[in-house]
Amino acid sequence: MSVSKKLSTTVLHPFHLERNAHMAEFGGYDMPLWYSSGTKAEHLAVISQAGLFDTSHMAVIIVEGSGAFDLLQHSFTRDLRYCQGRSVGPLSDGRSVYGLFLHSDGTVLDDAIISRCGAERYMIVVNSGMGAGVCTHLREFSDGEVNLVDCTDELGKIDLQGPASAAILQKLLSDPEQVLADMHYFSFRGDIFAGGSESLELKDGIKVIVSRTGYTGEFGFELFTAKVDARDLWNKLLDAGQSYGLLPCGLAARDSLRAGAMLPLSHQDIGNWLFGHTPWSFVLPWDPDGQRWTKSFVGSQQLLQGDRDYTYGFAGYDPRKIQVGEASEVQDISGRRFGRILTCTTDMAIGRVEDQIVSIATPTSRGRPDSFQARGLSCGFVRVDRPCEPGEQIFLVEGKRKLKVEIRKDIRPDRTARAPMARMRLS
Amino acid sequence: MKEIDELNLPGDIYYSKEHEWAAKEGEVIRIGISDYAQDQLGDIVFVELPEPGSSFERNEEFGTLESVKAVSEIYIPVSGEIVAVNNALEDAPELLNEDPYDNWIVEVRPTDIDQYDELLSRDDYVAMLKG
Repeated sequence: MSVSKKLSTTVLHPFHLERNAHMAEFGGYDMPLWYSSGTKAEHLAVISQAGLFDTSHMAVIIVEGSGAFDLLQHSFTRDLRYCQGRSVGPLSDGRSVYGLFLHSDGTVLDDAIISRCGAERYMIVVNSGMGAGVCTHLREFSDGEVNLVDCTDELGKIDLQGPASAAILQKLLSDPEQVLADMHYFSFRGDIFAGGSESLELKDGIKVIVSRTGYTGEFGFELFTAKVDARDLWNKLLDAGQSYGLLPCGLAARDSLRAGAMLPLSHQDIGNWLFGHTPWSFVLPWDPDGQRWTKSFVGSQQLLQGDRDYTYGFAGYDPRKIQVGEASEVQDISGRRFGRILTCTTDMAIGRVEDQIVSIATPTSRGRPDSFQARGLSCGFVRVDRPCEPGEQIFLVEGKRKLKVEIRKDIRPDRTARAPMARMRLS
Repeated sequence: MKEIDELNLPGDIYYSKEHEWAAKEGEVIRIGISDYAQDQLGDIVFVELPEPGSSFERNEEFGTLESVKAVSEIYIPVSGEIVAVNNALEDAPELLNEDPYDNWIVEVRPTDIDQYDELLSRDDYVAMLKG
């Protein structure tokens, strides 16, 4: 097997090759698509047990200084004063928030999770290959009281996702109670960077950041550690997870899991076009009434004035897909072409029972028959030129292949990402 | 991903450039996909089969395979009429991953048996895979 010289590799690349993973280019990196167990087993493991993902290709930026807050308020779509929890309070230390960086013309530069490590110190996670671009963009709006450092090449990032994640992680923590108790969705513990305040060490001394976030829609963690410790951490997690059915998982399962969870892929579902009417309008700084925005930010004027299109989630009636590309299109019931496909994949954990979509995780009391066997449903996102209602049937068309799908507000039911920590620690 | 020398490529059947296999069974030719094809596709989640009785010309598309990542056409390596389809694949498409040779896709009554002899032997197929 040969790797093109142009592709970057993560610190876990040797593991992927040792395990004969099916490799492909993603975001400038040579990454695993699936391992020998196959995408379906990996996808199902994350829903019923746990999966381990190498996400070291993601870029990490530290923003610090007295101007850090103002810079992010100006450049990020979320209002950091009103974004946390049900009470919509200010982002506090140890908490994270998802949003977008827009270009001045209202198109999307990238999506990001911003974590507050301190009043003048934030960690930003953006997509593969985007570290330098986002740093350059932020410098453009910086008043000089800010230091921006792209730490991507110094770190390993590993995502542990699935209902057994807490049980597995607990085995490595010296004080699980202190770390995990009361750990909310979109919160984190630890700081591994120079000058960091709160250090979190595993039993064997590996310093980590444990963040209760992810990109699968399921309960779990994103773990950050120094590059030199990443392989050790990966192997220890695999060992700790063996009795729980933990599987290493590739990007194919990551893609099908996130699509079923209605999460966008940057540069595919959102990207270099005006951020329109989408299922992700929560990234905009709405006031509590949802009527107006609480701040202006880079790109906001263009969003308010521009002619925006419509992005919707969809689910099909069987696992069949239509390939995304120039050759495919979206048609309405009269056969009029009215948009394009952004993502089309198969969520292998779901199926239809009469009018209802059911997951392997759906309790029998909520409509999953005992005999339910998921055959999978196609799902993804379309971008169209007019509003659609949930339940509207549209067609994905490529040449003579025509697939009927349904506009959906949500796709895979009974996801665990927001489940109470206390319940998940017993899983 | 399997290395070429790890692939299961029986020597008593023929192969096409599009990674189908063909095996003569009396009057008919059974057609499936090679171990290389199933390994490249990954988990197959849906198989679209032709109607029995339909006819196809050599190298014409006669069905589709869907993996989690992609949709792939399957091409008929010899012209002829479909006399049987493997309906078990409709309920269990993963059979093609588990054993791509036991689990044939269609049986064809060829209109020109010479086309069968023009297919690739195992050695020719391996040489093609090695490029």
